[in-house]
Amino acid sequence: MEKTLAKDIGFWVMLGIGLAVMFIGPMVWGLFEIMQITQYVVLSVYALSLAYIWGFGGILSFGQAAFFGLGAYTFAVASINIGETTVPFALSFLLPAAFGAALGYFMFYGRLSDVYLGVVTMVVTLIFWKLINHTAGPEYSIGAARLGGFNGIPSIPILNVPGDAKAWLDPAQMFQAFMGILIIVYLCLRLIIASDFGRVSVGIRENETRASLLGYDIRRHKVIIFAIGSGIAGMSGAMWATYQTFIDPNAFSMEMSAKALVWVMAGGVGTLAGPILAVILLQWLSLKLGTMHILNNYFILGAILMGLVLLLPRGLLPSLRLLAERLWHLGRQKMDASAASRKATSDV
Amino acid sequence: MSDAHILTTEKLVMQFGGVTAVDNVDFSLKEGELRCLLGPNGAGKSTFFKCLTGQLTPTSGTIKLRGADITGWNTHDIVNLGVGIKTQVPNLFNGISVYENIRMAARRKHLKPMAKEKAEQMMEKCGVSHLARREVGLLAHGQRQLVELAMVLAEEPPLVLLDEPAAGMTGDERDRLADLVLETARSAAVIVVEHDMAFIRRIAKFVTVFNRGAIFREAMIDEILSDRAVQEIYLGKQADVAA
Ligand SMILES: Nc1ncnc2c1ncn2[C@@H]1O[C@H](COP(=O)(O)OP(=O)(O)OP(=O)(O)O)[C@@H](O)[C@H]1O
Ligand SMILES: [Mg+2]
Repeated sequence: MEKTLAKDIGFWVMLGIGLAVMFIGPMVWGLFEIMQITQYVVLSVYALSLAYIWGFGGILSFGQAAFFGLGAYTFAVASINIGETTVPFALSFLLPAAFGAALGYFMFYGRLSDVYLGVVTMVVTLIFWKLINHTAGPEYSIGAARLGGFNGIPSIPILNVPGDAKAWLDPAQMFQAFMGILIIVYLCLRLIIASDFGRVSVGIRENETRASLLGYDIRRHKVIIFAIGSGIAGMSGAMWATYQTFIDPNAFSMEMSAKALVWVMAGGVGTLAGPILAVILLQWLSLKLGTMHILNNYFILGAILMGLVLLLPRGLLPSLRLLAERLWHLGRQKMDASAASRKATSDV
Repeated sequence: MSDAHILTTEKLVMQFGGVTAVDNVDFSLKEGELRCLLGPNGAGKSTFFKCLTGQLTPTSGTIKLRGADITGWNTHDIVNLGVGIKTQVPNLFNGISVYENIRMAARRKHLKPMAKEKAEQMMEKCGVSHLARREVGLLAHGQRQLVELAMVLAEEPPLVLLDEPAAGMTGDERDRLADLVLETARSAAVIVVEHDMAFIRRIAKFVTVFNRGAIFREAMIDEILSDRAVQEIYLGKQADVAA
């Protein structure tokens, strides 16, 4: 009766596509394409962080960039100081997760309403952005790493093989490593969502009052969900930093927060595959539009987005699913109908 | 039935701005007792329940559950101490199935394999097995009431609060409900708020009547039903509504 992960076709399809892209991609794509698609992979991990907390925990955060940026800077500072990337990468998950837990504790135990939660997450992002912008002077350095203010941090190390600081990954290897991370994040989130913890999260999203009337501690639950999302966003920030070998305060920008919201909304709140689809589609579109120089990029993207929200209010993936189901039923009906008419004529 | 009290409130007050919804209520309930709580619309019955379950923090007064002072506690802590409530407007997880709703309640008290069994058992008991896979948000009001009841009973709380459980139910559903309430009362203390007099007559023994937030009468059901003053507060209310 319970719908287990193992019986979910969508899950296996996603896993199959992921693994196929991971192993076949580097054989068929050129360097430029690989670099481009690596970017989509990083942003997909970032999108998943919000897709999880919003879609499966009912937490609408306007400040996902705070954790993205925190992860990126954590990775940059730690890797420059340590001289290898494995520990910094782990830190880029742990530090934002810890910060998310602390902020979440304040927000959820303080019983902030949803609106204030949105405002607080936004303000926290702004504070980070302001602070980091003011660190241009040489006095703002952590160990060997200068924070660089609005100039950003250059020469961030490329990811190396764990345990061998000199074995840097080439672009194809980095792509594969990132695909591996995306698949693992997707897998872990699906497992969490299918677990008892995940079911309760959905319960809290559906009706907080009933969840607490059953004896579940909503606040603790939300803090954990928020911390997991923060950790994943931080990790995607680190991926971004090492992919670009550079990071600047734009990682903390409102635009970065807004992008996550747009991808999740466009892809479908309450799905994980949808936001990934939206990242690929919308990033690809903005790249194409950017090279055409006809109209302002943002203008067209905004128009597309409004169209999406108006036409497919539930998001891309749920709409596609619905369409597929309708077609399937239509096909079945036609087959049944023709079978019936054949039967009728043969009866005559 | 022991004489020990499972629940006592002392001078319980709940105010909303100028409105006193619960007014100096001294209430007590014995272990295993079945009590009916009557009173006209707006008498403060639901607000009283909300105070008992920590959904509202009382303005003043104390609430004791099995001797522990639970005034001002968080809802989940009170619930975990042994209170289950079916709210007046059912609180359910609308987007998911009947089975998943009830399982989530059963899982609080049971390990995984047992929770499944318990959920199925409760569905059977409350007559919603045939709805197991249906989305709760799409059910009729009476069915929703039964699902919520199943969730409450799945946790086997020693104190069960039922706020207008019969509302929206068909005759059959009502009969089943009355049996269920009586059966539950064999192993737990139960407070039932209800407007349906036929239903009350079937289950009630000792009754508390609320009026304007305060306890108006406490007596056996027969006495209450023939009490002039009680009839008047009900009629008065109806006259107000008609005016
Ligand atoms: N959150 C609130 N804010 C302000 N006033 C409230 C609130 N909740 C209840 N009240 C008021 O408190 C009084 C008692 O309401 P309550 O819902 O407890 O009555 P009740 O006895 O359950 O009535 P009914 O039989 O209609 O369910 C009413 O006057 C109501 O308007
Ligand atoms: Mg009420």
